[in-house]
Order: sequence, then C-alpha cells, then structure tokens
Amino acid sequence: MSMTKRVEKLRLQSLEADEVLSSERAELLTEYYQQEDGLVSAPVKRALAFKYLLEHKKISILDGELIVGEKGPSIKNAPTFPELCCHSLDDLDVLNQREKTSFKVESQTRDHYEKIIIPFWKGKSMRELIFKEMSEEWKAAYQAGIFTEFMEQRAPGHTVLDDKIYRKGMLDFQSEIEQQLSKLDYYNDSQVYAKQEELRAMYIAAGALIQFAQRYAERAVELSSEETDDTRKNELIKISEICSRVPAYAPKNFWEALQYYWFVHLGVTIELNTWDAFSPGRLDQHLSPFYQNDISNGELTYHSAEELLQCFWIKFNNQPAPPKVGVTAEESGTYTDFAQINLGGVKPDGTDGVNEVTYLLLDVIEEMRLLQPSTSIQVSKKNPDRFIKRATKIIKTGFGQPSVFNADLIGQELIRMGKSIVDARCGGSSGCVEVGAFGKENYNLTGYFNMPKVLEITLHNGIDPRTGNRLGLATGNPSEFQSIEQVFGAFERQVKYFVDIKVKGNNIIERLYAQYLPCPFLSLLVDDCINKGMDYHNGGARYNTTYIQGVGLGTMADALSSIKYHVYENTTLSLSGFIEILDTNYAGQDQMRQKLLNRTPKYGNDDDFADDVMTRVFEIYFNAIDGRRNTKGGEYHINLLPTTVHVYFGSVTGATPDGRLAWAPLSEGVSPVQGADHKGPTAVLRSVAKMDHVRTGGTLLNQKFTPQILERDEGLDKLVQLIRTYFRLDGHHIQFNVVDAETLRLAQLHPEQYRSLIVRVAGYSDYFCDLSKTLQDEIINRTEHEIF
Amino acid sequence: MKAIRWENESITNWGICDDCGKCAEVCYAGAREMIGSIVSVSQLMVEIKRDIPFFDQSGGGVTFTGGEPMFQREFLWESLLACKEQGIHTIVDTSGYTSWEGFEQIISCVDIFLYDLKLMDETRHKQYTSVSNLMILDNLKKLSRARASIIVRIPLIPGVNDDEENIIQSASFLSTLPHLLGVELMPYHEIGLAKYQGLGMNYRFNQLKPISLQHIQEVEQIIYNYHLPILKDSPGRII
Repeated sequence: MSMTKRVEKLRLQSLEADEVLSSERAELLTEYYQQEDGLVSAPVKRALAFKYLLEHKKISILDGELIVGEKGPSIKNAPTFPELCCHSLDDLDVLNQREKTSFKVESQTRDHYEKIIIPFWKGKSMRELIFKEMSEEWKAAYQAGIFTEFMEQRAPGHTVLDDKIYRKGMLDFQSEIEQQLSKLDYYNDSQVYAKQEELRAMYIAAGALIQFAQRYAERAVELSSEETDDTRKNELIKISEICSRVPAYAPKNFWEALQYYWFVHLGVTIELNTWDAFSPGRLDQHLSPFYQNDISNGELTYHSAEELLQCFWIKFNNQPAPPKVGVTAEESGTYTDFAQINLGGVKPDGTDGVNEVTYLLLDVIEEMRLLQPSTSIQVSKKNPDRFIKRATKIIKTGFGQPSVFNADLIGQELIRMGKSIVDARCGGSSGCVEVGAFGKENYNLTGYFNMPKVLEITLHNGIDPRTGNRLGLATGNPSEFQSIEQVFGAFERQVKYFVDIKVKGNNIIERLYAQYLPCPFLSLLVDDCINKGMDYHNGGARYNTTYIQGVGLGTMADALSSIKYHVYENTTLSLSGFIEILDTNYAGQDQMRQKLLNRTPKYGNDDDFADDVMTRVFEIYFNAIDGRRNTKGGEYHINLLPTTVHVYFGSVTGATPDGRLAWAPLSEGVSPVQGADHKGPTAVLRSVAKMDHVRTGGTLLNQKFTPQILERDEGLDKLVQLIRTYFRLDGHHIQFNVVDAETLRLAQLHPEQYRSLIVRVAGYSDYFCDLSKTLQDEIINRTEHEIF
Repeated sequence: MKAIRWENESITNWGICDDCGKCAEVCYAGAREMIGSIVSVSQLMVEIKRDIPFFDQSGGGVTFTGGEPMFQREFLWESLLACKEQGIHTIVDTSGYTSWEGFEQIISCVDIFLYDLKLMDETRHKQYTSVSNLMILDNLKKLSRARASIIVRIPLIPGVNDDEENIIQSASFLSTLPHLLGVELMPYHEIGLAKYQGLGMNYRFNQLKPISLQHIQEVEQIIYNYHLPILKDSPGRII
C-alpha cells in the first residue's frame, strides 16, 4: 500500500481547496435559454441545453491528474441549477458566511446572479412551479415539518449505474437509438411523437458527451506540447488518446474504463442536480475483467492500478454537493454527495462476487480516507469472512466507512419489489442505505416523514400544538381513548391522511419533471429508456420506485410504549394528564420525566413490550405507503433513514411521551433512542431485527464503539461475527462509528445521551458512563492517540 | 434512625443500611441503584438463550464470573447443566478458593476454567487475601490432572505480586502442570474504583499506579522462559 507523490499532492489539493459556488453553469444555461427560439420539444431543448453546457464550460486538467474532468470550472467548484431552484442573493450571502461548510461566493458570481441569473429565472424555476401546484394542505404539512420534499431543490435521479458503459460506447448507444427511431410506429402509436423527440434528445446528449471528451483530448494535447517534463508529456498524450476513445467507444482497458465512467458521472451531474447517489455501483465487478486482462498483458501492475484508482477517488472528492437554497442553505451543513461504491456481494449468476479488485479497492479506501466517494461492503453469506474482516480494519480507523450491507437481504427486498433475480443481484445500496436495481431503476427518494410529529398531532386531535393550526383529521379527543388500541387507531388514520397528502403532491411533482425537465442523458444510461423511447422521469426505466423515508421509529416506539405502560397498563397517569405534561415540556416534572426515561420499557433492549410497539408502528407506516401506484408505472415503498433530518424534525416536534424534551432531536434510522438501550449491542440487534426489513427499501442502524474494542485482531473477528449474526436475523445495514475523543468528552457532559456507549478498558468492556471520571479521562486520552 | 439523611446534601450511613432498596426504587434518575438481584436458573436461562443466534454464529457462550461463582455451587451447577443442555459453551472464572468437591461436580459441564493465580508464597498470600493458597494450588493441580481446559490468569499488582521472585515461582509451578491452555497476565487497572465508590466501600488500592508496559514485558519473558504460552485475548471477554 502506498501513495505516490502525485497522489499525495492531488489528495492534499482536494482536501485543502475551498468550496466555491460557481455561476458558470447557471450563466451558460441562461445564455442558452435566452437564445433558444422556443420551437423545440422539451426533451430536445434539454438535450441542446446539455450540449451547450458541455461545449462551453471550462476545461480543467490539473497538474499530475490521470483521470480528468470537472463538474465546475475547477476543483471544488459547485455548479448551480437555476432551472430547478434559483439561489437568491440572501442565499448566496448565507452560503458565503455560514459557519459550517460555507461556500465561497465571489463578488463576480453575486453580480451575475443579481443582474442576469435571478432576473431571468424568476418565476420559471421548478421549485416555484412545485410550490405553485401544491395544495394548501400540502403546504401546511410541509411547513409544520410533517414531511420534507426532496424534489423542490433537486431533480429525481437517485440511481446507480450497472455495467453497460463498460460494454458500449456512446456511439453504440447512438446506433441503438437510431434503430429505435427507425422502428417507431407513426400509424398506431399515439405516443409516437413523444418517443421520437425523446430518442432524438438522447442521441444529441450522447453526442454531446463525446464532444466534451474530445475537448479534453484537445486540451491534453495542448498541455503536452507545453510540457517540459517528459514523463508528464507522455501522460498527457496518453490522456488525450484515452479521451478521444472514451466515451465514444467501449473502454478497452482499466484506465479507459475509469475515465469513461468519470465522463458519464460528470454528464449526469451536469445535466441536472440529482444531488446524490449517482455512482458506478458494483465497481469491483465492473473493473475486474479489465484488471485481469491488463495485468496479464503487462499493461498494468497492482501499483499502477492503485494509483489510477486513487486519482479516480480524488475526482469524487473534488465535487462538493450542490449548495442548497432557502432555509436549508442555513440548516444543512453538508458538502458531501452520496456516491456510494459497492464492494462484494454476488455476481449476476449468484456466485461470490469478491475478487482481487475488491481487496485493491479496500486498500484504496483505507489509504485515501476521503469522505467521497462513500463506500460500502455488500455482505453475502457466500462471501468469505476475510473480506468482512479486511473491511473492519478500515472501520476501526474511525471515519465511518465502509458501511456494511446485507447483500442477500437486499436481493430479497428487490425481488419482493418486483425485480427479476438477476436484476436484483446486480443491484445494491446507494446514497445512505436505499436499494435499487442498478442501471435499470428509477428509484426516487421523495422526502422524509416525521412520525413523532404525527403522533403529537394525533394526541391533539388534529391540531399542531406548536402553532395551534389544524393540520390533521379530528381523530377524537384523546381523553376519551379507552385503550392503547384507540391510540394506535387514531395514529394510523393520521398517518394515512398525511401520506395521502404527500403522495398526491409527489404524483404531481413526478409529472412536472416528466413534462418540463426531461433528462435525456441520464435516460440513455438506464434500461429500458431507449427501448421504450421514454424519459427516465417519465417511466422509461424498467423499474420505477418512489420511496418515502420514515423518521423517528425509535422515538415512536418509546413514546407509545410509554403511553401503553403508564396510562393503560399501570394506570398511574391519564392520557389527558400526560398530554398536559407534554404541553408544558415537562416543566416541574423532572421526577416524572426520569421515570419515563428510566422506568419504562424501551426499544433496543430486546424487550417485547417496547419492541412490539415498534413493529406495530412499522406496520402502520408500511401499510400507509407500500404498494401505492406512482405515475411512472411503478409503486411506492418505504425506507427508514434520516440522514440528518432527525435534528430538523426534532426541532419542530414538542415533548414526546418517552421523556424526550421539546425540540430535541428524534431517534435516527431504526436505531434506538439515543441512550435508551442499555443491554449491550446484541440486545440492540435483536430488537432491531424484529422489524421485517425485507419489506423495506433500506433501514439504517448506527452502532458506536470506541477504538479500544477493535484494537486486537480478536475484536475484529468478533465484529465480523456480530455482522454475520445481524444479517442472519435479516438486518439490512449496520454502520459502525468508532467514536473519537470529542464524542467521549460529550458523553462526559451528557451521559444520558451516551449511556449505551461501550468501551473496552483492559481485558473487559464496560459502559463508558459507568466509569470514574479519572478513568474516563484516561480513555479519552488513549482514544486521542489511537485513532488517526 | 434512617440510613439516609439530608444535610445540604444526601448523607448515607452505610452502617445501618439494611439493603431494603427503597431508595433505589424511588430514584428514577438512577443515582441510586440496587447492585445485584436474585434470579432463578430458569430466569437466568431466559436471558442467556436470547443470545443463542450470536453464540451459534461465533461459537461464543457464557462466562460465569463474580465475585466467586463457586460460592454459589448449586446454582452454578444447575446453570451450567442447563447451558450444556442448550449446547452453549461455558467458562467459569474462579479464584480456586473452594473445596475440590465443587470442581469435581462441575468439571464435566465447563469448557474452560479461567483460574486466578495471585501469589505463590503462602505468607504473602495470607497477608493480601487473608487466606492460605494451599487449597488453591492443590485444586489447580487436580483440575489440570483431570484434563480440564485451564487458562491461568495472573493479576499483576504493582508491589504486591509483580516481583521477579513471585513470577518465577508461579511460572515454575505452572510448568509442572500436565495440562494448561496458557497464561494470561492481567495488569492492574483502576476500573474497579468507581464500583467501590458506588458501593460505599473503601478502595484500598488507590495508591497504586498502573504497571508499565516494560515491566509487563519483563514478566512475560520470565513466563516464556518456562515454555508457557501467553494468551493476549482469552475467550470469555466481551469484544
């Protein structure tokens, strides 16, 4: 394992460069739309806009780079997408000044926005269109924080690539398109014109990418003629040759394969702001034939392959996520895209997918230690333990990667949702934990759903106590609920009511994208858009899934467990009395609150009392969503993941019956409430596994460990067994966060939130919060030195 | 007179505390907590059986430790038997200070013994533990002859038993045993401090400083010289 001087330099450059909001794309796009005469169909217009962008954007080849191409004019330059959502001057100022993860906004950029971009796009952006089309109920629920809407700031595009680009060049795609065009039935097909325009648009988009690469080829030649260093000169000539071959033709070697993917990645993320998730997917499998072939003919060595991959990795890290607009610009402190590269799993024929490239990629991940691309291991029962163990050695270094997925379960999930077995095997996880059939599915995450907020509204008979507004149904005065069943019943009706509002909104938004913002380039890449002559946004994909992500399952389980336990079983409290206490945010009720926190069955301890409540909530959420029709010929499904929205959702949700204070964060993913689990990790896993993960499109479980637990080889072996067991119990995903000294200091300050944190001291493990202050300090000290 | 009274802060007179547990019962925040509880073998087995999926996957199992599990001989025996009925791997962690009959009874149901060896010199053993070590050494010999799987654990306590003389004596003794999985060194640590404080007990080791890595290596060398395997991560430990 090694890092060459070149890689060291490029990596450092990537880490140190400031994030900049670039107006290049917005300016070019505005130019195009200003010139465009109007007599073109929507898909062709989008394709021509895409072509215009790629013809005019700045070409950037940095010194030493082996893989070339940038989304913006230079590294860490984030383009903007005014046709989706146009930044206001206030947004730009907030982004420029906010404390966390700011984006530099040059005064020139601000000027362009003020004088050209904002005036042109005012009233024309998708975001404005969406808000115009949404119902009053939708807006009220959205503003109250019952759900969020992804599509107001980014286009649907949550998908991952399969192996087709390694087999076909853009010219091949073009000839497929020509073939489809020649087969169009102008006599019997009422959709024929739409298909014709879509196919023409795809053709233009494919050509645009070839030309874009050609510009890189030309630039590389220019640079090579100026280059004095012979080695670099040759590299530039080589880069030029590669860029003239790919993406026009199918790649013939490892290097070309990587460069081809990278051009495609740029194409997809320049065409529209899909925000997250676009990634090469099962990279070890895609690269393996090239690797084997190049190694055997002497074109490549382990080290040269490693260097190319490292350069490839850095390219991902050079791309900050598009800066958000509006309130989220202030709140969302993330730079990161969510490209998640999958390793392992099974091959299309169902056999073990781990290969030499898998281990090579793990070496690269460990060495690069970059936030992007994110990586995951797909663990199948067919994979060897050593594969998982190799990954745990990276996990223990504490940067949260790779995350760990149950490949066999993901296969089952995808099959349940209607995929063929082979398409399911070629799928995997993406973004955070969401599953899809790679290269064949439009699976779109549309927004988070705040379950505890809906409970709060249920307990107030349809009123949001924060504002006094009536948002939900009148499901009855809680003081008249005679049993926990009635509470569940009322909650179920409210969930259904708000899901209906969300689904109605989604179904309109899906149509808006299909009609106004087709994405012919992305459509090229996803089966069966070409064959159907239909856009990705319009049901062109083989599979079309709409996900709504449930948030706060742990909080829900504990809240309803608390009502069930104290109100209906022990009858120490009336429900209306309980609600009054919640309304005052437990003022003067410390003892009561402690009882709720510490003397009430909690999810995460393998206690059926609470866990049954959790599965009940799961079923209610599942039944409200799963199987509903979307407008693309596909269905709605659920996943349970929060990213960071559990903080925002918490901030709009009052005190909950589990003892949680008003405005505090909700539980995240399917993890128990922070600090509520106190019977160790195996109890957590057993509790979480009581939910039927098979019927989701992804669940997220976080487990925290201190590095000492994974210090020795044996600790890693045990971690491997822990993963295997959770997956035997059909868990979907588990992520191990090896905590740093800072987290331990927080645990000293707020032990109630970190009670489940286990630390290995010397020969045995204990709960961190149970140790003496001196010993805690010593462990903090050790942690600071052991983690790097 | 009550065991707990209030004089600007809570003051507990442990001398008259009768372990009624009422203070812990009403302390929802958990500032007071009853340590230990009475369980039946069947109750214990309910808890143990929950982890069977993990045991099956990893080959792990149950470690009976303490205190001194051998002091609850019948309970230990029945629990071990119940574990074996379920095919669960078992470890007993013991000081060895119990009659041989105790070991004889359970030996068939124990996969591994973790056996503490503190001091070889009887006088010094008496000085620190207030009992003789003769029975402990004798039991260890017998266990070994009976082909039990044993890991001997030597707690290394600075100034108490970490001197060359004791280590040589220990290693020399252990090297005469017919059957031993290995030796594990347990360097002194202060994890117990918070527990002592919590129990209102006087922590008499608080002047000790943790043992240096170099000294541990010296001790290891002596043990290696007697051709005894040193285990770094014995079973029975939580990850």
